[in-house]
Amino acid sequence: MKSVITWFRNNRVLVSWLIPVIVLVVAIAFPYFIMKPKFWVPNIGIKTIWLGISAMSLTFLNRYLGLLSLAQVAVSAMSAYGIASAMVTFGLDWYIAIPIGLAVGTLLAAIIAIISIRTVAIYFLMITLAISQVIYSWVSQEVFVNGRRGLAPVRRPEFLLEMNNFYFFALAIAVFAYLACRYVASTPFGLSLEGIKDSPDRMRALGYSVSKYRFWAITFAGFIASLAGIIMVFDRAQADPDIVSLNSTLDVLIVAVLGGVTSIGGVFLGGLVFTLLDNFASDFTDRSMTLTGVIFVLILLFAPKGLTGVWEQLKGVFKKPSSSGAAKDLKTIAKEAVDTSSAKTKGKNQ
Amino acid sequence: MTSEQLFQIFLNGITLASVYFLVASGLTLIFGLMRVITMAHGTSYLLGGYFGFSVASATGNWYLAALVAAAIVGILGLIIHQVLIHKFQNDDLRVALITLGVAFIGTDLMAATYGGDAYQVPAPSNWLGTVVLPFAGSYSLQRLIIILISIIIGVALWLLISKTRYGAIVRAGVDDSQMTAATGVNTRVIFASIFLLGSALAGFAGVANGTLFTLLPGQDGTFLLYSLVVVIVGGMGSIPGAALGALLVGLVSQFGLYFAPTYATVFTFALMVIVLAVRPQGIMGKVRL
Repeated sequence: MKSVITWFRNNRVLVSWLIPVIVLVVAIAFPYFIMKPKFWVPNIGIKTIWLGISAMSLTFLNRYLGLLSLAQVAVSAMSAYGIASAMVTFGLDWYIAIPIGLAVGTLLAAIIAIISIRTVAIYFLMITLAISQVIYSWVSQEVFVNGRRGLAPVRRPEFLLEMNNFYFFALAIAVFAYLACRYVASTPFGLSLEGIKDSPDRMRALGYSVSKYRFWAITFAGFIASLAGIIMVFDRAQADPDIVSLNSTLDVLIVAVLGGVTSIGGVFLGGLVFTLLDNFASDFTDRSMTLTGVIFVLILLFAPKGLTGVWEQLKGVFKKPSSSGAAKDLKTIAKEAVDTSSAKTKGKNQ
Repeated sequence: MTSEQLFQIFLNGITLASVYFLVASGLTLIFGLMRVITMAHGTSYLLGGYFGFSVASATGNWYLAALVAAAIVGILGLIIHQVLIHKFQNDDLRVALITLGVAFIGTDLMAATYGGDAYQVPAPSNWLGTVVLPFAGSYSLQRLIIILISIIIGVALWLLISKTRYGAIVRAGVDDSQMTAATGVNTRVIFASIFLLGSALAGFAGVANGTLFTLLPGQDGTFLLYSLVVVIVGGMGSIPGAALGALLVGLVSQFGLYFAPTYATVFTFALMVIVLAVRPQGIMGKVRL
């Protein structure tokens, strides 16, 4: 037993890939071991994936930049609108429509980045919320995208007509998005982002252009959110203003919070819980929204790192008695002192 | 378009601004002191409106309805602050998310109780009718009364914050809450009282808007958004800023509605984007270090 634990400690990098691989294996097997694949694959599987990817772009920004963006859904939706208008309005093929959608979404993210680059913390949250509302009211009235009725039908390409194929296509995009986020986070760029998150002033003093880094991070997250738009538009078979509405924005926020707002992969767990609640809560309660709200608040109160953080929290609970009994060594005391003082200065900066 | 129409639109803008101001002043007070945004503010607004409707239609007394609605919503806000927010006051994003969760619950429970119907709070009978004004022609009396009430409330708030001892403590708390606590002020009581006051103002705004227009499900979201815009434009934490922001938002949305109805909402938010791009702290906001 002890040797297993030491192995885990010594191979942190390997272990950090263990859970994603297990999740991926389960996700691949998923359509084959469920009872009613016709219901589960589209309503739970595919929906979890696109909600998750959209939420992933949110958690990426939150984890590496410390910014909570509520415009990610708008970016996904604009990517979906890009694909829909290319296919429905202009009659283009899917392999041309998808790059157009990605370009539209990523471009929107870049514009959002330019507008919001000077704002931080709660201001950033509000300005992104406002931007997504502007987009909502614009698409509801714009003739070019057919106003309230939206663009339909967006037909899936031939090779995706089979539901399982579509599911694996979505899964492949999810894997790509996850790897892209982890890769970017591990590059010098990603490390600089974390530096900016912890202390923008210090990074500025070191000669980093904070705004430039923020701009590219928001644009990259926009690209990830645009990937979600591809699956979303083919899943819904249309693009309508509902996908930019406040409710959709909040859905993705709920997914991110359930999974853990600092976790890149946890969003899929959050998405799964959310879609399950969405589909089955109405079976045993009339007030499914209240139930979701209560779970949301409870998680924020007791598990701020989301469902994926619960394990870490439990470990902390079991560890405590042993460390409090023994005398603290100097190193821990010093570390704690540094932690609290840096937490204080951080609070002041905000 | 005649100049009379122009004045009518102007007055409509002021009317809307007075309701926005009532909602946003609570938000700005809470933010100014605690650096947190309560996303349940729109819920407080709509709940106040619904309570006002229930009491006013049961008793026929508008003043009692406004008082009861403000009191109940204020106390609910106080409970939410004590139970859910107080512990996490230093973590603004977490507070925003927790109060958002409260808003989900509130929206759902209000929909369960009041359904999807539109309600109007019955106004006192002597408020009905119109008044002839110079330039603008005749204008609804109750709108003018609501405008007057919110001006009175605005001035009272401003006096409270800038001229009284309580206000001095609040301002000290805004600048440095730890230092204020060290001088012997019980900041927890101050925080709680501001939360009570802010929520009560939102509750009263619900009654005011429910009297002039209608109460609908979904308004909690729109009013939260608009009051956020007002507060961002005016500058967080400043009462005169909230008044200025409300005026700008009210006028822009009313004139926008007249000249380019399709883009009225876009104009309002564009206003915010411009202000933030030029002056991220809002027109009357202070730069904080």
